[in-house]
Amino acid sequence: MFETRRLSSKIILQVLLTIMVLPFLFPLIAMVQESLAGQGWDNYKVVWDTGVVPEFFRNSVIIAAGVIIIVYCLTMLAAYGFSKLHVRFREVYFWMMLVALTLPEVVLLTPLFATATSLGIYNTYAAVILPLAALQIPFAVLLTRNFVNGIPDDLFDAARVDGANAAVIFWRIILPLTRPIAAAIIILTLIGAWNDYLLPLVFLQSPSTQTITLLPSFFVSEFSDDQTKVVAAAVITAIPEIVAYLCLQRLFERGLTAGALK
Amino acid sequence: MSSLETTVSPARQSHAAAGRAEPKRRRRGPRRPSGLPWILPAFVFVVGFIYYCIGYTGYISTLNWDGVSPTPQHIGFANYTQAFHDPVFWDTIRHTVIFFVVTFTVQTAIGFSFAALLHSRIKLPNLYKVIIFLPVVLAPATMAPIFRQIFSASGQLNTILSDIGLGSLAHPWLAQSSTALPVIMAITVWQWTGVTFILYFAAMTQIDKEILEAARIDGANGFRVLTRIVWPNVRGTTIALAMLSVIGALKTFDVPYLVTLGGPNYATEFLGTFIYRISIPTAEVGYGAALSILLLILALAGAIAFGVRGMRRN
Repeated sequence: MFETRRLSSKIILQVLLTIMVLPFLFPLIAMVQESLAGQGWDNYKVVWDTGVVPEFFRNSVIIAAGVIIIVYCLTMLAAYGFSKLHVRFREVYFWMMLVALTLPEVVLLTPLFATATSLGIYNTYAAVILPLAALQIPFAVLLTRNFVNGIPDDLFDAARVDGANAAVIFWRIILPLTRPIAAAIIILTLIGAWNDYLLPLVFLQSPSTQTITLLPSFFVSEFSDDQTKVVAAAVITAIPEIVAYLCLQRLFERGLTAGALK
Repeated sequence: MSSLETTVSPARQSHAAAGRAEPKRRRRGPRRPSGLPWILPAFVFVVGFIYYCIGYTGYISTLNWDGVSPTPQHIGFANYTQAFHDPVFWDTIRHTVIFFVVTFTVQTAIGFSFAALLHSRIKLPNLYKVIIFLPVVLAPATMAPIFRQIFSASGQLNTILSDIGLGSLAHPWLAQSSTALPVIMAITVWQWTGVTFILYFAAMTQIDKEILEAARIDGANGFRVLTRIVWPNVRGTTIALAMLSVIGALKTFDVPYLVTLGGPNYATEFLGTFIYRISIPTAEVGYGAALSILLLILALAGAIAFGVRGMRRN
């Protein structure tokens, strides 16, 4: 956007950008520093030796995987139906689903609490997986429907003339061709499910089901006086997210811009 | 989570396109099979769930109930009148408005500048991108302990301030009503500017290079190109981001709950944290439900207001 023909203006822009980016880097540096304060690496050892970290991880993995599977399956089916099949009043159905985009999680607490208790799924993975999936599907359907709209109708007409029914078309055309948007949706769902705090806070009460977002509070009660160990626990939970992002950087960014680019 | 622009424009375009293509397709190929069985699983799951929850919350909002008593008392709209007379409720509304205006403005300014700078020829662009975007993937719950530490009276921020000779500016940031809300907003900006940046960055790649070239040949400098050409061209993204920010501000829960618990003295109370406090620790479930319904109405109104603006612009 800025023309940088002269060396001086090049340097000015580079320095400006570097200064602007420092506040974004600072909390991460402070975090690593703080986690090594006092007993140094022993903070990590103490946290790891409690033995609960892998358990919290396992729970987060199970919940994220559950949400992703439900969101992926229902989204693909619905996007095909909305985009390429005949549905009367389809925009009405569509907009009724989109209302969920505005729905704050906190509104769900009381009804979910009552329902989860009466169904006996309180303090189980399902109590978190099902509401998270229901909240994620509308946006996923919105993105996928737009993507499927871009696949030419002629392809579907040709397949139908060749005798393929809707199920075959779904399996042979929709699923393979939607792979790019599916990757974006899986990443978005992963961020949403992995980072969610409120639903696990309310519905998961024992360390055997709790997710890693609850790990810092767990360690606050464990090491009440020792902030450094709480921060060390937070660093441990941040590492997989950072690694996942660095490995899949393109996918994360594409996931977020999927709706903006046509 | 990304551009809500899509909730408005492409859906509408696809609708229009489908309407035009309809008769042609009927003449040509075999009639398309019904899509109802395909959309039904997602529709029943999402809509059943949402409307069941909203209906149930609406019903509870007319009760005087602690969540466990077997005989809740029907009190009509008393919970709603209680909300309108509750000063904390109006505090949360005020905080939400301030929060939206400030975080949206700052995120837009920073995100737009980052996007423009990274579209100029800069060394190591990917390094900057990673640093700006990384906070987006980190859970607020993971970052909360370090933010509590940074902004505490003996924290890193005050240390830095005294190191550079501004020790007089040191505050117990989270313990003072006047600084707690700005801290919550700063953390939110830190967390979400990556999204603003990525969306502007993507929008800028779609601006016609020839227009920019022409403007430059006409003698427009970098700043004029930005304000006169780039900014109007990414307006769709700005509106989408405004809509996201309104809904995000109304949904705010994690950061104030984890960093300040809504305090000190309700200074960082938001609708989300307020409803949580009323519904769960205080167990005034009926009142919490009434507040939830008010929150839902505000969120819908916000989305519609910006959605309609977005449509008119397009």
